[in-house]
Amino acid sequence: MRKHLISLTAGIALAAGCVDNTIVSPENAPTVDALSGALTTAGVQTLAIGVLAADRALVRGDLTYLTLTAIYARDAYRIDPNEPRYVSETLGGQPDPGSFAGGGGWTNGFVAIRAANSLLDALPGALESQVSPQQKAVTAGLVQTIKALDYYRVLELRDTIGVPIQTAKLDEVTPLSCKKNVLDYIAAVLDSGLTSLTAAGTTQLPFVPPTGFTAFGRNYRTPANLILLNRGLKGKVDVYRGLQHSSPTAGAFTAAITELTQALGGALPGAVPASSFQNGAYVTFVPTGTEGAANPLADSRVGLNPKAQAALQTGDTRSSKIVTRSSLAGQGLSTTLTYVGTPVNTANQTRPVGILRDEELVLLRAQAYIEANQLANATADLNSVHTAYGLTAYPVFADQASARTALLYEKRYSLFFEGPQRLVDLRAYGLLKAGSTLAELASDPYNTAFPIPKAEADARGGTSNLTVSCK
Amino acid sequence: MRIRALSFVVIALLCAGTAGAQQRRITGTVAAREGGAPLTSASVTVQGTTTGAYTGTDGKFSVMAPATTVSLRVRRIGYQARTIVVTTSQNDVTVALERDVLQLEAQVVTGTSTAVASENAANAVTVIAAEALTRVAAPTIDNAMQGKIAGAIVSQNSGAPGGGTQVQLRGVSSILGAYSPLYVVDGVIVNNSTIQSGLNVITNASRAGSAGNFSSSQDQSVNRIADLNPNDIESIQVLKGPSASSIYGSKGTNGVIIITTKQGTIGRPTVDFTQRVGHASLANKLGSRCFQSATEYGDWANVNLGQSKTAAAAEWTAAPTKCHDYEEEYYANDDLSYETVASLRGGTQAGTNYFVSGLVHHDNGLAPNDYYNKQALRLNVTQSFGPRFTVGANSEILHSLTQRGISGNDNTGITPGDIFSNTPSFYDLQRNADGTFPRNGSGLLPGSNPFQNADLVKTPNNTYRFIGSLTSKLSLYKTSRNSVDANFTGGIDSYSSKDRLISPATGYTEAAAFGANAGTLFNSDAALLNANINGSIVHRLAMKKFSAQTSAGFRQERRESMVTQLTGKGVIFPTVTSLASAAQTFPDQTIGLSRDFALFAQEEFFALDERLLVTAGVNTEKSSGNGDQGKFYTYPKVSASYRLPFLPSFVSEFKARAAFGRAGNLPTAGRTTFLTNLLYEGFTGTRASTIKGSPTIQPEQATEIEGGFDATALDSRVRLSATWYKKQITDLLLQAPIVPSLGFTTQYLNGGQITNRGTEIELDLTPLRRGSLIWVSNTTFAKQTGFVDDLPEGIAPFNPGVGSFSPRYGNAWIQEGASTTVIQSTVGCTGGVPASGTCAAANRILGLAGDANPDFNMGFSNQIDIGPVRLTGLLEWRKGGDVVNLTNNYFDSSNLAADTLASAKRLAEFNAAQHPYVENAGFVKLREITVGYEIPERLIRTMFRGRAESLRLELSGRNLKTWTKYTGMDPEVSNFGNQPLGRFQDVTPYPPSRLFFFSVISSF
Repeated sequence: MRKHLISLTAGIALAAGCVDNTIVSPENAPTVDALSGALTTAGVQTLAIGVLAADRALVRGDLTYLTLTAIYARDAYRIDPNEPRYVSETLGGQPDPGSFAGGGGWTNGFVAIRAANSLLDALPGALESQVSPQQKAVTAGLVQTIKALDYYRVLELRDTIGVPIQTAKLDEVTPLSCKKNVLDYIAAVLDSGLTSLTAAGTTQLPFVPPTGFTAFGRNYRTPANLILLNRGLKGKVDVYRGLQHSSPTAGAFTAAITELTQALGGALPGAVPASSFQNGAYVTFVPTGTEGAANPLADSRVGLNPKAQAALQTGDTRSSKIVTRSSLAGQGLSTTLTYVGTPVNTANQTRPVGILRDEELVLLRAQAYIEANQLANATADLNSVHTAYGLTAYPVFADQASARTALLYEKRYSLFFEGPQRLVDLRAYGLLKAGSTLAELASDPYNTAFPIPKAEADARGGTSNLTVSCK
Repeated sequence: MRIRALSFVVIALLCAGTAGAQQRRITGTVAAREGGAPLTSASVTVQGTTTGAYTGTDGKFSVMAPATTVSLRVRRIGYQARTIVVTTSQNDVTVALERDVLQLEAQVVTGTSTAVASENAANAVTVIAAEALTRVAAPTIDNAMQGKIAGAIVSQNSGAPGGGTQVQLRGVSSILGAYSPLYVVDGVIVNNSTIQSGLNVITNASRAGSAGNFSSSQDQSVNRIADLNPNDIESIQVLKGPSASSIYGSKGTNGVIIITTKQGTIGRPTVDFTQRVGHASLANKLGSRCFQSATEYGDWANVNLGQSKTAAAAEWTAAPTKCHDYEEEYYANDDLSYETVASLRGGTQAGTNYFVSGLVHHDNGLAPNDYYNKQALRLNVTQSFGPRFTVGANSEILHSLTQRGISGNDNTGITPGDIFSNTPSFYDLQRNADGTFPRNGSGLLPGSNPFQNADLVKTPNNTYRFIGSLTSKLSLYKTSRNSVDANFTGGIDSYSSKDRLISPATGYTEAAAFGANAGTLFNSDAALLNANINGSIVHRLAMKKFSAQTSAGFRQERRESMVTQLTGKGVIFPTVTSLASAAQTFPDQTIGLSRDFALFAQEEFFALDERLLVTAGVNTEKSSGNGDQGKFYTYPKVSASYRLPFLPSFVSEFKARAAFGRAGNLPTAGRTTFLTNLLYEGFTGTRASTIKGSPTIQPEQATEIEGGFDATALDSRVRLSATWYKKQITDLLLQAPIVPSLGFTTQYLNGGQITNRGTEIELDLTPLRRGSLIWVSNTTFAKQTGFVDDLPEGIAPFNPGVGSFSPRYGNAWIQEGASTTVIQSTVGCTGGVPASGTCAAANRILGLAGDANPDFNMGFSNQIDIGPVRLTGLLEWRKGGDVVNLTNNYFDSSNLAADTLASAKRLAEFNAAQHPYVENAGFVKLREITVGYEIPERLIRTMFRGRAESLRLELSGRNLKTWTKYTGMDPEVSNFGNQPLGRFQDVTPYPPSRLFFFSVISSF
């Protein structure tokens, strides 16, 4: 018996002696678990800058957001003997969902949205001693505005083809939503951003944002100015909610007018001075060093569609945006002109791209007035832009059609090569089709939007799983 | 889990029968049949009981046995076991044991503290004994294992001094996960990582693009098992697949190599002293083009450099030597290599056994200033306290200082092979009389002088390592039928490996490559620690009809690592080597910590007169590397072996065996989603990486079925062993695409399936045995194939990553239905090759162009003893297996290959989108050969006045000759070092060396 006891106790002693904790936190590099921990001010800063950097990556990536949309809008050509798809999959044929021409501007957008969602998730848990509730609110307001901006950017590229709305869960795949639902969602996010910004009072962001948010006529570190950006974006969204011909949102234009006026500081129609047109928030670029992020438009293979110059009125000083270049020809297209921002030099590589500047706000308000049939107000706003460029003022427009023509002209040349605004407008007014627009090539398919990338379709199990849900 | 283990013990105890009947004492002597010398430390066990004893220095033993007719089983390492029947009338016996020339009598590990005789083992376990391992001096353990393990492909990465070898057991078992076998030394799991030396900062091989341009997988570094001293090893056991390595749970997929070091023996102390002196020479070279006339060179210079023909021809005419043999000039380090091994071994009657050994080793590399220095000191002590308690401590301190020079891929024109392939051979590159080095005048690589680089650039690696373990065995309970032992082992493997790289700004290549930033320094400090403890309780039950061995226990392991690297660029003053003087510094650090815990239990059941052995075991383990760090994963094993009773007269043993086991491979990545840094206007932004981790990532599961037989015949002169196995690996760690609108591009997941099948045959013969003439021959044959059966839906065929440059040359490729080791390359041109001979990029067709896996591997080892003379040889034949010979492309592009016609043909095929660089690298290599002479005893007695026991003189050679169709330097090559796939790239490697040694081996 004693022998049994000895062995039993020995056995227990042996077994009990083991320490068996195998829980180890990653020490080598930060993981997403760090987000659910307690954030410090520095943590909030790096995450917020990460959101902005991801947004810039969307603007730069695959040459889609600025270059391909300008080609679709018939303002630009890109002729590259090493890569014929810049013509054959834009003006000469359908874009291939598997290539850069069809697949760009998608993943980068959702990476930026995920970054925004992660930060919004982590903000409430930030250390109270480091980040006050007002600082959390103003940061949330900024991030929600950028998140809405990124959804809007993806929508500008995909239009009615469908955009899924991400949830907070890292692996929850949602169906593609129809354009109306996406616009409604963007509007809702902007409104919750407004709520956060209002709750922030006068507390500014707990970090210094990049110069694109401070150096262009307005310091967006303060909630007051962030509210202006937020309302401006909401106004833009409302204009297009109203122009949704399949299911226009009632009262969208009136709401847009209110919001855009707020964004313009309450200025009356026609009362925005030309000197403030450049004020706004911008995406800035740093081409050198490890950052290596140049403005993608600084590209020796990009040229101006000659028809864009032909449509310019004589005396319009916006002609300074067009310069001559060495002949660029191939694949049935040719030009000797280009946008001033395309020659490859430091100035162009660092040229900032506006997110939403006052000149655009004025023109959007004019657009809202036109659609709301307030033509006198529309004329006033249009003239504040038109006359700033050496042209004589428009008389009050007699009808919406002539007002729209003038609006499209002003928007085209004021916001020349600054983003997909022209493409969005051509789509909204049904102008991108045979008969309304001249064909660039015999096989011109009048592409209006980019397809769902093949990677997305494949990962979802096939193109049959890409049906758009409008619930 | 622990309760269950305990209850095993309790139940077994309760089942114990009554104690014995009357007892008697049996004494005797055990001696060798040849010469009659008494054998110490022979074990004598009474069959059907747990009683046994060991013989003393005089070969005598004394054991208690029942007063009936009993069988005594007598065993001793190096001798064949015998069973002696002792009748009731006998009380004293003399046992003569036969030499075990065919190594039949090893003990095979079946658990952390259990073993069975190899005659019963149910797995094909290769056992390499000390003499076979160190027959010819090998610088590292992995070199020593080449050609000796059936089913293993042991390949050197290059000829650089100091090691760098990969052991692959039974094929490729993982794509993205760990691929090295587990090495266990005296119960301690030791580290076999490779710490990159930082060569990339001057070679820019990986074009990392980051400012610091840190170390890459092309740094030609050494996996650290090379540190160990091969002379200390008593035996190596190789558990080749999961059916045997299941006991190591989620570290066992790639096989386990169990190393046992020498222990002391009872008896008077013996001193062994070996001195070796050797010489290494260049074993193979490629040569380069020899221009025969000024016009020939003029034409070449005009085409390749754009020079005027007359000017170039004049340059050639003016050269004093028209054709240099650069490789002979450069790889000409003529100094001697030497090795001194000394050991002291003994044991006292008081139960102390000790083994002390020391090693001083110096190997010369072929390139100037390259060397491998190693020193080792070991102390193994075992102390018994009475018959019940034994404690053993093994400790080893190792130091190695290596300089491996520059070789392998580069993009700065610094590797000798790169320079030779771009320099017409009339340029004089050797040191001038005044001590300076000439600038390389060739237009292709202006300035670069490899002799100057070898003189100026320093690449030392300094490693200190300590491996120590403490083992204790306590006999808790012992009767004639039962015994319960508690075993405990704890140990650590700790090393500090420091790499330095000093490339002064005065080097022509350094200045040309880095301009204003010339002058590079690199420091890497790696500190690694592996610590593990394991404890088990073993119960042995011996009944008349059966006996059983039950074991249960736990194992805990901890691995820590910290690697800190610093690069300095723009170091202006060549004598200053502190990073503080660099214009720019770039730091980096990698930290790792992982912890594992496992519980295991095993039952080994012998029945039918010890003919049948049935084993069942289970190992359950959790690890911090898994997605769920607290989840246990279970690895079962079942095996059986049966020694047939009724055999024809000429067959003495025939054992049929079958085994099934599952092991795992810990995920090396994938459990977390990391955060990446981005820059915005110089400020750091952070967001989640686009590679999503999985919280459910789990170990890869490898399940193996193995079957075979072992037969011994013709009076133990023939031993034939054949094994067939099928190993299926599922839940592979893979990177798969993910729905991009989630905000990620790839995710880690477990999925897919690989199946490896193979055959291993070993034939050991003693063809001649007459008096003092013995000829022992060992032949192994192994054939293995592996296929990717399945890839999860959504994963398209892919290139597994590390280890390739471009499909135009050849890269690894994973595709459902194809072999795991297939090589993808260009196989044709759509629309045919145009008249220009160059296929446009868009028209190149990619396809499967070769396979890196050899068709089969054979080893031929022979040992002939004629009186005092001994001749041994080891030949390895590897048939098939392809390698991508990129070095040829260097010579082809510059048109400076020795054979211009073959070179032009290759280049034409390359341009036509064929794959001329995928070459068959099958070979026959004479790996080892020795001639030894044992000085007669009489002479030794007079020479050393009776103090010496033996003295042997030996002349040996390693890697003497290679027969191969491969056109590169060595068919065994890997630019990317140790890799699971992508091993087969040949890019200007360090050439192989041929070694000759003269040794004096003495024993006192």
